[in-house]
Parts: sequence; C-alpha cells; structure tokens
Amino acid sequence: MPTLDVTLILAAAGCWAVAGLLPLAGPRADRGGTFLGVLGSLLGAGAALHALLAPTAPGLSFTFWGAPARIEVDALSAAFLLPLHLVAGLAILYGREYWPLSAPKGSGRSVRVFFASQVAAMTVLFVVRQGLLFLVAWEAMAVSAFFLIQTEHERPEVRRAGWIYLAATHAGTLALTAMVILLAHRTGSLLWNPVTGTGSPLDAWILLLAMVGFGFKMGLFPLHFWLPSAHASSPSHASALLSAVMLKAGVYGLLRVSGLLPTIPRGFGGGLLALGAITAVWGVGNALAQRDYKRLLAYSSVENLGIIAMGIGLGWTGRAIHNPWLVALGFGAALFHVWNHSVFKTLLFFGAGSILHATGTRDMEALGGLGRRMPRTLLLLAPAILAVAALPPFNAFLSEWILYRGLFASLDQGYPWSGGLALVALALTGGLAVVAFARFFGTVFLGNPRTDAAVHAHDPSPTMRTPMAVLAGLCLALGLASPLLLPLLGRAAGGAGLTEPGLLGRGLGHDLRLLTALEALLLTLAALALAWLRRQPAAAERPPTWDCGYAAPTARMQYTGSSFADPWAALLPGRSVRMHRLKGLFPKPHALHIEVQDAVGEGLVVPWFVRMAARAQRLRRLQPGYLSVYVLYVLIALLAAFLWPLLRARLLG
Amino acid sequence: MPGFLVFPTHVALHLLVALLLPPLIPGLIAKTKAAMAGRQGPPVLQLYYDLARLARKEAVFSRTTTWVFLAGPIGALAAGWVASLLIPFGQTPAPVAFQGDVILFAYLFGLARFLTILAALDTGSAFEGMGAAREAAFSALAEPALFLGFAALAKATQSLSLTPMLLSHGAAGGRLTGPLILVLAGWATVYLAENARIPVDDPNTHLELTMIHEVMVLDHSGRPFALVLYGASLKLVVLGALILDLLLPPTGRPWLDWLGFLAGLGALAIAVGLVESAMARFRMTKVPQFLVAGILASAFAFLLLLV
Repeated sequence: MPTLDVTLILAAAGCWAVAGLLPLAGPRADRGGTFLGVLGSLLGAGAALHALLAPTAPGLSFTFWGAPARIEVDALSAAFLLPLHLVAGLAILYGREYWPLSAPKGSGRSVRVFFASQVAAMTVLFVVRQGLLFLVAWEAMAVSAFFLIQTEHERPEVRRAGWIYLAATHAGTLALTAMVILLAHRTGSLLWNPVTGTGSPLDAWILLLAMVGFGFKMGLFPLHFWLPSAHASSPSHASALLSAVMLKAGVYGLLRVSGLLPTIPRGFGGGLLALGAITAVWGVGNALAQRDYKRLLAYSSVENLGIIAMGIGLGWTGRAIHNPWLVALGFGAALFHVWNHSVFKTLLFFGAGSILHATGTRDMEALGGLGRRMPRTLLLLAPAILAVAALPPFNAFLSEWILYRGLFASLDQGYPWSGGLALVALALTGGLAVVAFARFFGTVFLGNPRTDAAVHAHDPSPTMRTPMAVLAGLCLALGLASPLLLPLLGRAAGGAGLTEPGLLGRGLGHDLRLLTALEALLLTLAALALAWLRRQPAAAERPPTWDCGYAAPTARMQYTGSSFADPWAALLPGRSVRMHRLKGLFPKPHALHIEVQDAVGEGLVVPWFVRMAARAQRLRRLQPGYLSVYVLYVLIALLAAFLWPLLRARLLG
Repeated sequence: MPGFLVFPTHVALHLLVALLLPPLIPGLIAKTKAAMAGRQGPPVLQLYYDLARLARKEAVFSRTTTWVFLAGPIGALAAGWVASLLIPFGQTPAPVAFQGDVILFAYLFGLARFLTILAALDTGSAFEGMGAAREAAFSALAEPALFLGFAALAKATQSLSLTPMLLSHGAAGGRLTGPLILVLAGWATVYLAENARIPVDDPNTHLELTMIHEVMVLDHSGRPFALVLYGASLKLVVLGALILDLLLPPTGRPWLDWLGFLAGLGALAIAVGLVESAMARFRMTKVPQFLVAGILASAFAFLLLLV
C-alpha cells in the first residue's frame, strides 16, 4: 500500500506526463495542459514539503523487468523535488505567453511537450532507488532537454549547441552506466540501499565515475563546455528549468550515490572542493566578459554549481575524517545554495526572457535605459541581481555564509590548504560576481537607450510578471527566514550521510538568528532613510544629467558594458583584441574588435570533441544502409552467441 | 548570549560615537592639510554645517534616473550603520557579536559599493560610468586584502567574530607579531582605497577624468548628497576602528579605553592629512600595483599562520 507522499509524487509525475500531450490537441486543450501542469506542481511541491517535515521516509517496492525496484521520498529527494515543482509550475505559467502555442514552425507545441516530459522525468529521477530505473529517468530527462535546446533548430548555432550538449550528456551517461554496474556489484543488487560495513577499494572507482558522470551535468570544470551555448539557445523559461533544476540533478546524484557508501575515501573531498573552487572562479570570470546576457546567466550557473560543489566537497571531507560538524556545514550549505540558486536564477532567466520579448536582442550593448521603460521588470529583477551577487539581506548570501563557516572550520581539521584556497576562491568569486552583475544591470536597465530596440521596450503582461513577483518575494523571504530552514536542511543532508540531522540547527541557530535580525535592521534603516529623502521637496523640472557642463551628450557616449568590465575581462586567457594602429595626424575611422572565447571550453574541449566526432565518422561504414548487411550482422551475432559457450571451455581452459 | 548587549552604557556610547562623530574626521583631515600648507582652512566642523545646509536644500534629479539612483546613498548609509554595530570601538566589545559576523561585515561593504556603482550608472553619464568602472576594478582588489587579513586573524584567534578576533590577538603571544604587522600594512592600503584618499584617489581634484569616488556622485544633490557625504565619513570611522583595534593596547580601565580610541581616531585623521600633504595621487595605472601590494601583505600573513 503506497503512502500519501508516494501517491502524490506519482500523481504529480502523471499530471505532467498528460500535461505534455494535451497541447497537441489544440489551443483549448492547451489551457487544460497548463492547468494540469500547475496541479502537478502543487501536488509535487506539497508532497515534497510534507516529506521534508516528516520524520520517516515513505517508500513503495515493486518489480521492474523482473528486478526488484523501489521508490522512496526521503528528505533528500524532497529537497530537490521542491525547487523542481516550484520552478516548473511558475515556468509553465510564464511560458504560456512567452512562447505561445501559435509560435512559428510548431515550436510552441514541441516546447510544451518536452518541457512537461522533462519535469515528469525529473520527478521520477528524484525518487527512484534502483540503478536501471535511475538511468532510464536520467536519459528521459537528458533527451527532453536536447529537444528543448533545439527549439529554434532552424538557426545553425542552435543546432551546434544542441549536438554538443547531446554528445556531452551521453558521455556522462556512459560514465553513469559504468557507475551503476559497479554499484550493483558492490551492493549485490540493483536496488540502492545504503551499504553497511567498511569501505572497499571499489568505492573510489564508484565515486570517480559519479564525479565524471554527474560532473558533466553539473558543468564542473572542464566539463562545463556544453553549458553556456545550450542555455543561451533554449527559450528562456526552458533555460530556467535547465539551469535551476536539471543541473541540480547532477548535485542530487552526487549526494545520493555518496550517501550510499559507508565511507568516503580520503582525498575526494579536497579534490571536489578544489574543482568546485576552480569552476566557480572560471565561471564568474567568463560571465563578466559576455555580451549576450543569456550566456552571462549561463556562466553564472557554472559559478554557482561550483559553489555547490565546494559545499559537497567540504561535506565529503567531513565524512572522511568523521567530523559531523563539517558534514553538516558542507551539505547544509550545498543544499541551501541549491534552493537559493533555483529561485534567483529562474527569476533572472524570466527577466532575461522579458527583456528579449520586449527588445528582440540578446546583445547587452544594444540596450540601456530599460529601467524607465520597464519599471516593473526593474523592480522585480533587483532582488535577483543582489542575490546572485551574494549580497545581504538576500538568500544566496546566507548559503555562502554557511559555506564560509564550514571552510573556516576545516582550516583546523588537517586540511589547511584546500580550505584556505577555497576561502580565497569564494571571496574572489563574490567580488567578481559584483562586477559581472553590476555590468549586466547597469548596461541593460540604467542610463539611456543605446538603440531603437531599447527605446520602444515595455513591461510584460501580468501573466509573465506574476511568476517573477513570487520569485522576487522568495529571494527576500529565504534570506530573512533562514533560521527556520536549518532543521529542514539538516534532515535533507541526512540522506547524503549526515548522521545527526539536528546538528545544523543547534550549531548555527543562534548566530543565524542574530544575522537575520541585523538584516531586518538593515532594511528598516534603509526604509527610514528613504522616508527622510521623500520628505524633501524635489525640483519640479527634471533636467538632463550633469555631464560636466557638456550640453549635448549622446547615448553612445555612455560607458559600455564591455568597457565597464574591461579591467577584469582583460585578464581572461581566451580574449583576443584586434585593432589597427592609428597612423598620421588625421587618422581615418578605425574599428576595435574584441572577441571572448572560453579558453578551456570552446578553445580546448569542444575542438577535441569535434576531432573525436570526425574520427568516429569512420565507423559509419558499418552502417551502409543495405538491409542485407544488417541481416548479416544479426546472423554473425547469433552465431557468436551460440559458439561462445562451446568455445569458452576450450579457450579459457 | 555571550557578547550580546552586555554593557548598556558602552552600547549607548558606541551608538552615539557611530552616529555623531563621523563628520568630524574629514574636518580634521582638511584642517591638517591646511596647516601643512600654511593656510587657515575651513573650520573643523565644516561637514556638519554642509550636512545641515544640504538637508534644507531642494534635490534635483536628472530625467534619466530611476529609484536606483537613491538606492546608492541609502544602501551605503544603512550598510555603514549596521557594520558599525559589529566592530568593537577600541578595547570595548561591539554591541552585537556572533560567530560569522566578520563575513557579514565584509559583505555589507560589498553591498554599499554595489549600490553606489549602480547609482552612478543610473545617470547615463560617461564620467560617472568611468568612475563606476574604476571603483569596481579597484575595490575588487581592496576586498581580498581586507578578507585575507580577516582570515589570518580568524586562524590565529580560532574565532569568526570581530570582537574576539580584534581584541584577543594579544593572547596569541609573540607568534602573532609578524603577521599582525603585515595585516596592518594590508589594511592601511584598504583604508586609503576604500575611503578614496591619496595616493589612490584625490577627493579634492578638479578634473573629473582623474577622479574615482567623487565622479560617481556628481549628480547627487540635496538630501541624497548629504547621505553620500555622511556615509563616506562613517566609513572613515568604521574602517579606522579596524586598524585602531589592532594597535591600541588594553588598559583595563573602560574610560581610558574610550579616550584612547577617540584620540586614536584623531591621530589617524591627522596621519591621513600628513600623507595627503606629503605625496601626490598615483597614476591610474600604478593604483592596482599599490593595491596588490596590500593583498600580498595580507596573504603572506595568512600563509604564515596557516603553516
């Protein structure tokens, strides 16, 4: 008899599966599809919240292809189901208008189908506890994402992004398949039950394969190469789902699989910590040089996944040296950042979608002054901008604060070097994120419009604004209510190997309450200062900006985003500048070209992939297209299958 | 709750100093510079007069700006006040102390800076954009110097709270003397850079092309400008307290501690005035080198304590 939570989760997955098919029947059924999707999200989010609060984990056992299988909704699953259904429910509402059913070339239908199938696949993914089913759900999720990325497949760069993504995700699946086989060997069954007893040499291989397979999905350096163009190519509400939840499937996998193992071999924690630090710095460094604001957001996802990986690494270190306090801080910070990143990155992608909708361009340098033309978008996006820069009092600051505490605590635990370097990397990441997002916000929303596209921009309709308002409120609420979330985070970290769920609340509760009280004080002081400013009479006439007496400034004289970030972007290894030397007393007009390429992703890994693909073309000769040849293959395979048992005894003795 | 709201009189004194004292510091600096140049100079209380005048004047807003333009001064002020609650003044503990407050302290300055940069970009002026870009570039260098100094002290005192970090370093003994000097050197560069003083930035320059901080607030007037000026002076006190806490010895008598702290603030202002009289601003290209030297000093202190 399945319990309530399991029933609700299965119902949610079912709702989403049907919600994807309804739009095919026409515009009227599309409304029903949206309704079913929202219903599914409400069911899923409700069940997840219930499971987070419940002390026991309900499960359901059954057989699948003759093998025992099990689904279980424990707190770790719930910690990922909650953001999934929050984001998916808001995104389907947003997408109704952002990507209407009547979009050209049938893309309105395909987006709805694959969006819903991806949500259904991920719902299943987060609750299955069996290797084979996990891989099936994983593939369903990955392939749905491929079709979402390929929505505008008539554009060559979109096709390229899609194929690179497909190659990357399947390379990851290959590693995961090997991991599932090894895990089955280790536990004796395909079921994912925690292994008791002592560690075995196999554990290191399982973790290594998990880091590769899930690392592809998380975008861990240097496996992040597929991510920026894939996220820039898909429709914005689908980008939000990919960035806010699909990348986290890798995080879930790492936490789940490592939670099954009895111990974590030494070195893995420090290794993942260092890898996360490199990923974070590399991601934010590339983010601040992008001109395309959706690519900027995608690189910022790389950065944030790096921060999450640092948390997991810290937790693993804690498990390796049997220090529950480090485990609690590391996993707690990672899970909290998963939530926070889901909220603010979804809001940012919705905002990016609204800008794209209003102006039709993804080039930041063509925009400017949108704040006066889209005042509501400006107001709704401001919390996300402050959150992504990890500034108080918004949510991401709190998760980074927990991570800082963990890193400082690890300095005295025999890991001074990885902890110290990660500390510096986290501080540097925060500093550079400020530059990157001051650039984004300033270039797009502030100042004067740089082109006509920006002059005629307007706020989106309430259908698109309402989901953004919900997320903007959550950015602040999660920041101010963080002391209440500590017990939930502790319980969720239990699934990842934290033995004492109450530790996080006991250890951090007092400090976090004082911290949030100070944040409330900050907001109060700001409100008082604003009230004081408002009581002063302002000049009725609004003159142009004082530009040091220059009377006729043009919008082109403003600082551009590229020049704003140039002092830091100039340090990037993948940046090339082409400029002709000016000659003579009266030089002719000249042009300056700056190109930024991800030196590792686009510069090294993608070309290597392309070379491998070219080599793999030789295998195409095996597939000539004649039926008779294929029949021959079948025959050879059959013969081999018959001969093998006969010859085995003779060959192997 | 250890350390939280312990001595009501001290808390009251702390709040009074944080609220009322800051505008005095720029006056002291200006007076020192005037004395060095043989001029009489403006009265020491000049900034108080300026603030009172600005509070009465009408504010003018450019037609380009939005509410973000006001978020700069407001954010800088609110963040400065909250930060002033976290830092001990002299040898008396801060009104609020908890493990991890040092991270909040550092990020509050980040918040203030972020909002100031956005307010500058909101005007759409080329000059203010230039100032914002410079501020973003240089402060991202000043931040690590501050942070690495905190990391070194946190490692030395086994604490992540400003009050024990800054007040109990004496207990660590002679091993800390070397790193402490390095941290002080690193923080001195932070103090000059964050407060826009010579040799990083010249608050009295007349050419917009050579400004950093001043050019970002060109468009502010009336009460918003009063908040900007007050916020800048508050920063002088808060960051000055950071340096003084490391330098001042504990006397054991609370009133002596307070007197020492106030005298120290005055001495620091006079020292800044002397530096400004003695040297010129660096060329823009030299500023990063100066700030990186600060980072290296703090980083070396951290490394010394790590091994």
